[in-house]
Amino acid sequence: MFSISKDYAPPFGMIAPFFVIGSIFFFLGTLFLLLLDPGKGHFDPMIAGWVHWFLLGFVMMIIFGAMAQLIPVVVEVGHHSVDLYYVIWPLLLAGTLAMVAGFWAWPAVLPYGGLLVLTAMLIYLYDTLMTLRKVQNVTLTVKTAVAANLFLTTGIVVGFVMTLAIGAGVDVDISWWLGTHAVLVLGGYVVLTIMGLSLILLPMFGLAHGFDERPVELAFNLMLGGVLLHLFSTMIGFAFGRFAAVFVMIVAIGLYLWQVYLIYKVRARKENDIWARSMFFGYGSLVVAVLLAIPAAIFGGERLILASAWFLILGFVTFLITGHLYKIIPFLVWFERYSPLVGKQRVPMLQEMYPKGMADMEFAFSATGVVVAGSGILFGVRDLYYGGVILLIVGAGFLLASVKWMLVFGKEESENQ
Amino acid sequence: MCDITKEQVYDAISNVIDPEVGFNLVEMGLIYDAIIDDDCNVKVVMTLSTRGCPLHQMLTQWVKDAVETRVPGVKNAEVEVVWEPEWNISMADDNVKKALGAL
Repeated sequence: MFSISKDYAPPFGMIAPFFVIGSIFFFLGTLFLLLLDPGKGHFDPMIAGWVHWFLLGFVMMIIFGAMAQLIPVVVEVGHHSVDLYYVIWPLLLAGTLAMVAGFWAWPAVLPYGGLLVLTAMLIYLYDTLMTLRKVQNVTLTVKTAVAANLFLTTGIVVGFVMTLAIGAGVDVDISWWLGTHAVLVLGGYVVLTIMGLSLILLPMFGLAHGFDERPVELAFNLMLGGVLLHLFSTMIGFAFGRFAAVFVMIVAIGLYLWQVYLIYKVRARKENDIWARSMFFGYGSLVVAVLLAIPAAIFGGERLILASAWFLILGFVTFLITGHLYKIIPFLVWFERYSPLVGKQRVPMLQEMYPKGMADMEFAFSATGVVVAGSGILFGVRDLYYGGVILLIVGAGFLLASVKWMLVFGKEESENQ
Repeated sequence: MCDITKEQVYDAISNVIDPEVGFNLVEMGLIYDAIIDDDCNVKVVMTLSTRGCPLHQMLTQWVKDAVETRVPGVKNAEVEVVWEPEWNISMADDNVKKALGAL
């Protein structure tokens, strides 16, 4: 009975590469922002390449690593085949590099990169769905995970077809399908996954209980409906359906934000550590992204679209990930190096296992950088954009150093025992 | 007849610390009861601060170990995790509430 916890937990050596690679992609991704021209449209290959670098190399890499550990904890069954994670990160890494090379220099490479990424995603999907099949108690989080993974696969297949159009001349209207590709991957996977996981993680870390869950249930159903409406409208060429789908998704996000507020209101743990501050900034950025998305959907406008995407990706998604890194990595290290020592000697608390000073610097530089550069994009001031990016680069450097600090915590001591 | 007291069991469990919050399980209010039978078998009834706790199995194992190794005369310790009543911060000691900012 008591060995289950160990069975659930994947080996540290299996998950660590996801966090190391993800952090390196994050740091290099902020450097590459200097190569972009914020005055260009979102169809610009340099911007498209950067988005894939960041979303695949940083966001997906970290989410997959976190999922390897979180899925069994959340659904209370072991992985179907956890060893598959040993092949997921090399495939995702190689595919991402090939795709970015395709966008930036050699379009013919793009389909090969797309195929590698698709393969990594399918392996991840196989393990996740087979794991979820074993679950007895089908909660909202489980349903969200199933839907999100199906959307991810559909989104990647759509993306793969688009790479064939760019790299191999297959006849597909990229401008028509690009929006649906983004909706499936960003709305259908990233946002839905965050919705599902945050329903577990926010109350867990904030010690919140007894809150109403109806807003997130409605948000989940609306998000599901919005993504499907966008997909089918694209398939049948129904422009108004796509327009309506965007608003359905905006309402879903609004309800989700209301849910986050309800959890925040009843939380017992009120200390504002790096995790809490990252959550505040992340959700604040989501509000800004939604407020910019509304006029962007009605009136159009490249600067509004890019600024909304900026606050969604660099503000919301990034800060939710970086904030949780300060919780997840110390836990994994503690579990690997200190859990066997409990009762035999003093073991550190998780709060002692991240570098508070560096984390504070990371937060200050990154948050200021997101706001300054985002304002530069919105108001069309290039100097503001590049100034903000410099701040982001410094922040990303502190994050990289923090991740290294956390990963080696107690390593020497552990090896000497 | 067994002369082990509930206080001894609670004292033993107070050595088990939740590494996430840094408080022991007793002051967190997570231990609901300790039932001691005539043969000195101990059953600890406890809860966790959240259902998705990644340390679920380890915490219960630590409680079992603490009772069996720190309370003299215990024949066997068993741990039952219950979800009713649901834990909330009002069950914690004042020092915990104060440290977490809930007081």
